[in-house]
Amino acid sequence: MSVIGGLPYNTLVVAAGVAAVGCAAGVIGSLGVLRKRPLVGDAAAHATLVGVAGAFLLTGRRDLPLLLAGALCSALAALGVLVLLRRWSRTREDAATAIVLAVSFGLGIVTVSGITARGIPGGAGLEQFLLGHTAALTAGDAALLAAISAGVVAIVALALKEVTLVAFDAAFAAATGWPVALIDYALVMLVAVMVVVGLPAAGAVLVTALVVIPPVAARQWTDRVGTMLALSGSFGVLAALVGVAVSASVPRMATGPLVVLAAATIFAASFIMAPGRGWWARVRRQRAVEQAWTRGRLLSAAAEAAAADGGFSRRRLAEVAAVGTDAALRAFDAAFDALIRQSLISPAADHGGGVADRWRLTAVGQEAADERARRLSLWNDLIASAPAAARERLTIDLPDPQAVGVADGSGGRW
Amino acid sequence: MPGPMLEFHDVTVAYGRRPVLWNIDLAVDEPCLFGIIGPNGAGKSTMLKAALGLVPLAGGTIRFFGRPFSEVRGRIGYVPQRETVDWDFPVSVTDVVLMGTYAHLGWFRRPGPRERQLARDSLTRVGLDDVADRQIGRLSGGQQQRVFLARALAQQADIYVLDEPMAGVDAGSQEQIFRVLSDLRDAGRLVVVVHHDLRTAADWFDRVALVDMRLVASGPTAAVLTPENLRRTYAGRLDVLDELGRAVARGERTS
Repeated sequence: MSVIGGLPYNTLVVAAGVAAVGCAAGVIGSLGVLRKRPLVGDAAAHATLVGVAGAFLLTGRRDLPLLLAGALCSALAALGVLVLLRRWSRTREDAATAIVLAVSFGLGIVTVSGITARGIPGGAGLEQFLLGHTAALTAGDAALLAAISAGVVAIVALALKEVTLVAFDAAFAAATGWPVALIDYALVMLVAVMVVVGLPAAGAVLVTALVVIPPVAARQWTDRVGTMLALSGSFGVLAALVGVAVSASVPRMATGPLVVLAAATIFAASFIMAPGRGWWARVRRQRAVEQAWTRGRLLSAAAEAAAADGGFSRRRLAEVAAVGTDAALRAFDAAFDALIRQSLISPAADHGGGVADRWRLTAVGQEAADERARRLSLWNDLIASAPAAARERLTIDLPDPQAVGVADGSGGRW
Repeated sequence: MPGPMLEFHDVTVAYGRRPVLWNIDLAVDEPCLFGIIGPNGAGKSTMLKAALGLVPLAGGTIRFFGRPFSEVRGRIGYVPQRETVDWDFPVSVTDVVLMGTYAHLGWFRRPGPRERQLARDSLTRVGLDDVADRQIGRLSGGQQQRVFLARALAQQADIYVLDEPMAGVDAGSQEQIFRVLSDLRDAGRLVVVVHHDLRTAADWFDRVALVDMRLVASGPTAAVLTPENLRRTYAGRLDVLDELGRAVARGERTS
């Protein structure tokens, strides 16, 4: 066996093949997720086992293309049953999916265990299709998987406009003459194909993760379909490669769970770190809103106190502006320090350094406070006189009503 | 002789065994702002969906310019209800407006400079230039509705069909939408609008049809919105009595 870079040639080819599968699954899965059908692939995946076992029983052979052809047949049959169930029995989509998934999987397990129990020659190892086992792949198998994956990606690239239209607004697509049902079936078909092709990598139980997790992770990072597809494909490649690498280095370790865990790690990282939609970004935005509002209220309270006796003390202001909770106090402190940094408030001149806790508004600070009071009163009037227009334009940072075009209070203009 | 711009002939539609539209006969033969008015569940939206081939007819025919919808699809612009799509979908305002050009483009061809220019023009007409690149979820309800209108404008149609374009929309957007629709009418287009708000109906539409499963009346707005017709349309619906009173007062004033 030839060796490149310390790795056997075969492992490299298999890794490349599985990476291609991960990519295509991520791409087509994105469209499935956008079409709000994330679970259809799962039903198809669980149905593949019967097909694998059936193909083996019929032919007595175990080459991968044959078994996958069987898997595709049973997956499509299951999807057909799903459509019929929905149409004829008025079962809800999620319930119908669960029924098809469970029944076809049960059937698959019975068939595979039957084959194993009766010791049919060559039947051992079929259960590898449950959880995936890339170590058993030949270079030829991997090339086949890669070729099919490339085909799926090519079809998506060609018909992206059509599929996006149907996924976004099926009624409009239908009204403008697109065959929505046909496009839907084609999409589901492609998902089924990728689920089948993904079997060696992830197995019937977990392969659905390949068409769902990378897309959802990718969605966190972008607001564009094209970017989402590209990212999702890349995440799929990454997850597949990690899975193959780890399972190749640990004997008898199934690939599927490793691929899924890798994908889950990417998902968790995306969920936490993605700018815009990510958890951390949301927390920071919320903080910024809280800070801006606290600063504004503090400024107003300071102006009020200063108007009364020329200056104010930080401690006294905290009692007025930050009521009760520790969080409110922390926000108050941060806001107070920010106002000092912005030179809106400064230590009163008659007490050096502010040690005596005596403060005053600077000229700029007084101006800012007056401006805030002016806007606040304008907005309060607007909320009373034209609630709809006010609701549309008002933001927490109190923009100038004139600048956003709702100033005359008539309600209709903007 | 091509026939009226829009014609319903004996149209009956049923969901399951329950009829939602009953023998509707209606013809509009000149450009106008045409309102389809009626209480909730009266089958107003179903009328549009039936006309666009989105729900099957139990009987009757619907024709545009004397021909079935499938032959004149390209001449009809459609604005669905705003709630029918997921606004979190990862597309920009421009992306959505470009969808109005897809039917002309046909399979697999991508929008080019011509289509982009058309999308820009459509956005200008509805006053949304400044948000062209924004993700559609980051718009107000009124702006979202105008995106849908711009998409229909990009269809460059002769007849525009709108499903509740004023629902949940602020006064400013309503006015802007109304202005665009009036311009279309003045340019010789027929604009058919499903509308639920009796109070504004008299101000906005040239002609209306009052619908409550059956067609109660249709014709010039002032002639149709009579106390008698409104009572027949909204019979037994106490919740609208107040609205009814106001609309009647307005109808009497305009007539």
